[in-house]
Order: sequence, then structure tokens, then C-alpha cells
Amino acid sequence: MSVIIYSTPTCPYCKQAKQYFKEHNVQYEEKDVSADSAAQAEMTKKSGGFMGVPVIDINGTIITGFDKPKIEAALKS
Amino acid sequence: MADDKLYDFAIIGGGAAGLSAGIYAERYKMKTVVVRGKDPGGETAIAATVENYPGFKSIDGYELIQKMEDHAVSTGVELRDGEVIDVLRQKHCFDLLLTDGTHLLSRTICFALGARHRRLGLPKEKELTGRGISYCTTCDAPLYKGKEIIIVGGGDSSVKGANLAGEYVTKIYFIVRGGKITAEPVNWDRFETNLVKTGKAEILYNTAIKEILGTDKFEGVRLSKPYKESDVLKAGGLFVQIGALPNNEMAKKLGVELDEKGYIHVDKFMKTNVDGIFAAGDITDGAGPFRQDIIAAAQGAMAATSAYQDLGVHGGMACEVHALPIIAPKSIPPRNKKKVP
Repeated sequence: MSVIIYSTPTCPYCKQAKQYFKEHNVQYEEKDVSADSAAQAEMTKKSGGFMGVPVIDINGTIITGFDKPKIEAALKS
Repeated sequence: MADDKLYDFAIIGGGAAGLSAGIYAERYKMKTVVVRGKDPGGETAIAATVENYPGFKSIDGYELIQKMEDHAVSTGVELRDGEVIDVLRQKHCFDLLLTDGTHLLSRTICFALGARHRRLGLPKEKELTGRGISYCTTCDAPLYKGKEIIIVGGGDSSVKGANLAGEYVTKIYFIVRGGKITAEPVNWDRFETNLVKTGKAEILYNTAIKEILGTDKFEGVRLSKPYKESDVLKAGGLFVQIGALPNNEMAKKLGVELDEKGYIHVDKFMKTNVDGIFAAGDITDGAGPFRQDIIAAAQGAMAATSAYQDLGVHGGMACEVHALPIIAPKSIPPRNKKKVP
């Protein structure tokens, strides 16, 4: 399973998402889009131009925001 | 799906007010649940740095709310994920319906749902949210590194947001509808010293946004009056921080009295006009426009105390506490009107 979270250091919803992954033993890769312009470009491309964080990529399913039901569904599929 | 537990106190909203209410309710040995809501942690979670909560010289808002949650859970408060989408009278109790279909029954309830960000109400605002328009500087300002942005506001939150954004962006156009900015002096000093005097921020007073420009992404705004001989102001992002609207829909449905701005009207004990219903935090008119973590926490404590006293007065009556139906909720006198002898 591949889980990538695009985040910024100050974003509370990113922190909530990471906390959720930790509580559910989900390994994830974090990309700080405030420090990594390539990661930001990757995030906006994947999300169709979305400029907000977090953006979460779970096996190719792109979720904008900390949307727990969508995350749960993507992790199960 | 039914949950057969009967709670003494159900708190709707898991921000500073709701968690404080939970901590106090547990100390009164009330069976308590906090339903965290759509945005767990409320405004505190997205408050960036908090520097005015006793015990913490400077703490990240998310970390502060985590500490409050940990504290609440350690005392025995049941924290539930999800959102309460409806509250009904069920005989003499309150029946809370959650997003997952669960029903919770409680003898008393406390609305601690806070408020949501007010929107400009202009065309394209919804479509371009997340495409250059944001309501959360704490979340999204770092995405605009090296860009020029617009912040529309005038209150303390907008100034705090500008102070954070200033660490990332090259320029802030700070649009204020009126002729003054109302901010905590310490936040204003930082804004003025670090951003205004350095030319990084420019304040456009007595100016409104008339139109949002852009098709697939935000490109700029049309102003109510020209800036440098043009009414079009281009920028990479727009942060809207123009205040809040109380999440009062469920309270209103239950007959709870609201003030003229829609905030739940409470007395000094955080009681509403409806027996068994209390409220705390940003959803209330309890402290006027002064909406801070310390106020919310204090109001939560008071609401729990009042709920405890309410149950004590009606001791042993369980779900017989509240008379049905609510035909004419009593009215609480407005806070600013005192009886003249």
C-alpha cells in the first residue's frame, strides 16, 4: 500500500491525518509542499489544481482535506 | 443503530469549550460524552500559535487542543468521532442523531459547536475555494511561498493570519471594509513592525471586494475603489477572514433563544432559555465579541456546573427532568439591559 500525504508544517488537518494513520498503523510518506516546490507541483497535478492541504494519495486515490470516510474507504479498497 | 446508554450530559462539539465542559462534568461524576464534530478541536486547532492561555507561554493551537483532549479522556470523558446532525426531544430526554446513524440519549445537552467562517458571498467564491481561495492561513499560507496574496479581514484573526503568512509570501494586500482594524495590541504590533513598516503588507482601508476574478483558479479581485489607478488587484491567493457565523441550526430548531446575530443567548451560568440545554464557547453571546480559548474553557466549566445543578435539583427523576412539550420557552433578559429600580 502506498500512502502519501502532502502537507505544510502548520496545517492542523495534516496533523490530524497523520495522527489517524499512526493510530491505524498505516505507513505513510510525507511531503512538505512549503519547502519542496516539486512536491507542490506534484500535488496540484494529482489533485487537478487543488491549492490546499492536506492532499492524500492512497494507492492513486486522491483525497483533498482530512476526509475520514473517504480515507477509510480508500484504505479498505 | 441504537446506543442504549443514557448520558447525563452530552456535549456537542469538541473544541476548548466542549472539552472543558467534559472535564468538569466528569469531576461531578456525570456520565458524559463529547461528540467531536465536523472540525474536531474547533478554532483552537487551527489557531496557529496560542500565547494567551495560562500555563503556556507559546503553544501550537493543535497541540493545545490535543492536550485538552488527552486531559478529558484521562478523566473518563467519552470522546466520539462524528457529527451530531439532529437533536430531538425523546420523551423527557434528548436524542442525538450522529452521522453514522447512532442515537445517543442524554438528560442534558450543551451546544459547543462554535462558529464557521463567514464567506464573502460572491460568485465564483465556492468554485475557486481550494483553487486560490482559502479560509485558513494556518493551513494554506505556506503554499503561497514567493507569491503575492490578498487577505480580507479586519479582526484579530486576520491580523494573526497575516503575521503567519508574512513568513512565506512576498506581499500582502490587506483589505479592510471599514476604516479600522481591531486586533490584540501584541498581534497588531507584530503586523505593523514586521509587515506594514517594511512594506511587505499594504492596508487598503474602506475597500470592499466586488468581484472575484479567475476561471479555473483565483487570479485577483475587483475592488470597490481603485488602488493605484486600477480597480483590479491581481494576486496568487485570497484568504478570507471576515468573521464567523454561529452553528446555531440545531439549537434554533429546539426553541433556543438567539441574539440578533444568531449567537445562543445564555445567562451568566451558561443556561439557555430551554431547560436542560446549555451552551458554551464561540456559539454563545456570553462574552460578547471576545472569543478566546480561555473564555470558551471557562464557559464550558460553567455549563457543566449548571448541568450538574440542574440534574441535582431534579435528582432521581432521570428522564423526567424536562417537561414536554416546549410550548413557550422562557426568555432570558438581554445582557446589557438591567432593571431600573
